[in-house]
Amino acid sequence: MGQPLAQKRVTLPGPFPVGRYAKTLRDELRKRARVQLIGEVTGLRRTPKQAYFELRDSEGAVPCTIWADELDRLGLPEGALRDGAEFVAAGGPDYFIGSQASSPAFSFRVTQLRPAGEGDLLARLQALRKQLRSEGLFELQGRLARPLLPKTIGVVTAETGAARRDLVAGLERRGWRGTLIWGFAPVQDRHAAPAIAAAIQGLAARPEVDAIVVTRGGGSLADLWAFCDETLCRTVAMLRVPVISAVGHERDSTLIDDVAAVACSTPTHAADAAVPLDVDAARDSLGRCAATLRRAAGGAVAARTPHLVSLARGPGRALQRERVGLNQRTREIRAASERGIAERLGFQRRVATVVLERALRRAVGPDLEQRREALRRAAVALRAHEPERTLERGYALVEASDGEPLTSAAEARAAERISLRFADGRVRARTEHPTES
Amino acid sequence: MEESEREQSTRPNPESYEDAVERLEQIIDRLDSGQAGLRETLELCREGRDLVAYCAAELDEVGESLKELRLDELAAKLDQGRLDTD
Repeated sequence: MGQPLAQKRVTLPGPFPVGRYAKTLRDELRKRARVQLIGEVTGLRRTPKQAYFELRDSEGAVPCTIWADELDRLGLPEGALRDGAEFVAAGGPDYFIGSQASSPAFSFRVTQLRPAGEGDLLARLQALRKQLRSEGLFELQGRLARPLLPKTIGVVTAETGAARRDLVAGLERRGWRGTLIWGFAPVQDRHAAPAIAAAIQGLAARPEVDAIVVTRGGGSLADLWAFCDETLCRTVAMLRVPVISAVGHERDSTLIDDVAAVACSTPTHAADAAVPLDVDAARDSLGRCAATLRRAAGGAVAARTPHLVSLARGPGRALQRERVGLNQRTREIRAASERGIAERLGFQRRVATVVLERALRRAVGPDLEQRREALRRAAVALRAHEPERTLERGYALVEASDGEPLTSAAEARAAERISLRFADGRVRARTEHPTES
Repeated sequence: MEESEREQSTRPNPESYEDAVERLEQIIDRLDSGQAGLRETLELCREGRDLVAYCAAELDEVGESLKELRLDELAAKLDQGRLDTD
């Protein structure tokens, strides 16, 4: 069993007694350059001899110790050194080699300690900003489409505070009365950044949320430091829901402003950015659109109505023209027809005359003289029967006033006025006291 | 079948309010140009009226009264629902 172990023996120096090594390590660490660290104080605890805490940021932490008497000499304001406070610690690495009663431990031995000032935070912010920009995280949210008319807006803010009230007022002024989902979170302590990030993620996970507003009122950079938290800002940058930040006032610039889709100076401006559409104005505009469409539809028909009417009247006019023409032709035909009939009648008359003449000639042709003699005799006989011959013999002819012969007493009585025709003239007479004979 | 497909293809189905408004503006511009014939004008007007109705409905959805919910309560309801189904 011993042989295999001997074979695995390594060739490094030593073995050294651990206590001596621990002291050497301590001495080496104490030789390292003294520096300043900046970070958030966490896990603060005090003993009569020392104060212990961690100084940490999103990338890591260092355990720190400070002798109680040195801490007292710093004269920090009461309560300034507390969990969540940003501090700058000056010192260097140290190593406690342990004792019979306590375990060995590494620590950053702090000799100077002060709350982080604006300049410290700005410097740290600049470094973070540079880092995130280099990773392209400032552009991701800006590429997201923001709905013109969101129906549900998620809001991360403090439950109590002016920011909440101002945001609602701004939305109301837009005429927007949709659904708000409040993700309340602390906005100013060391728990703020994780709580804000959790609320944002919770809202982004809800499919009905169209946009998220993150807002709080103004304050010092230290007050707003939660909104410069690297983890929070990385979370915001990767979301698929647009985030509108309105943290602090116009002069304040936090890291979340850089990664958000839109950075606003006030909650009121955030309301405008969250609802780009002025709902009341849009309603008016829509009314005008509807009117334009009505006019266009009506106008299109009205403008074409004369043409349509003329088209519609076309067949009627053509029919009328045809009817007039037809009537004219009918009249012409009728006239022509009447002329034809007259001509035919004339022709027929001419034909008849010719035929009669021919017949007469045939009749009078061969025995003309005989017929002429017979005709003379007939005339003599006829004259013998004429009334004039009788009158010449002394008779009178009784006639009515119109010349009709009255051949009975009854006719003469009825006529009253009568005329007596003699051979040499007429005598007018009136019948009187008519009596039956 | 063809008739119904054609009817569906001409019926506006905007993805969003902004799509509807953009199309509506195109329609108004076209109508204002006076270059659309009668048939096109009437079709544009019909499409426009449908878009106006869509937009009005969208505006109505955010025009009634502000509704306020709390994320923590919604999350609690969701958790309760999960427990109930388990």
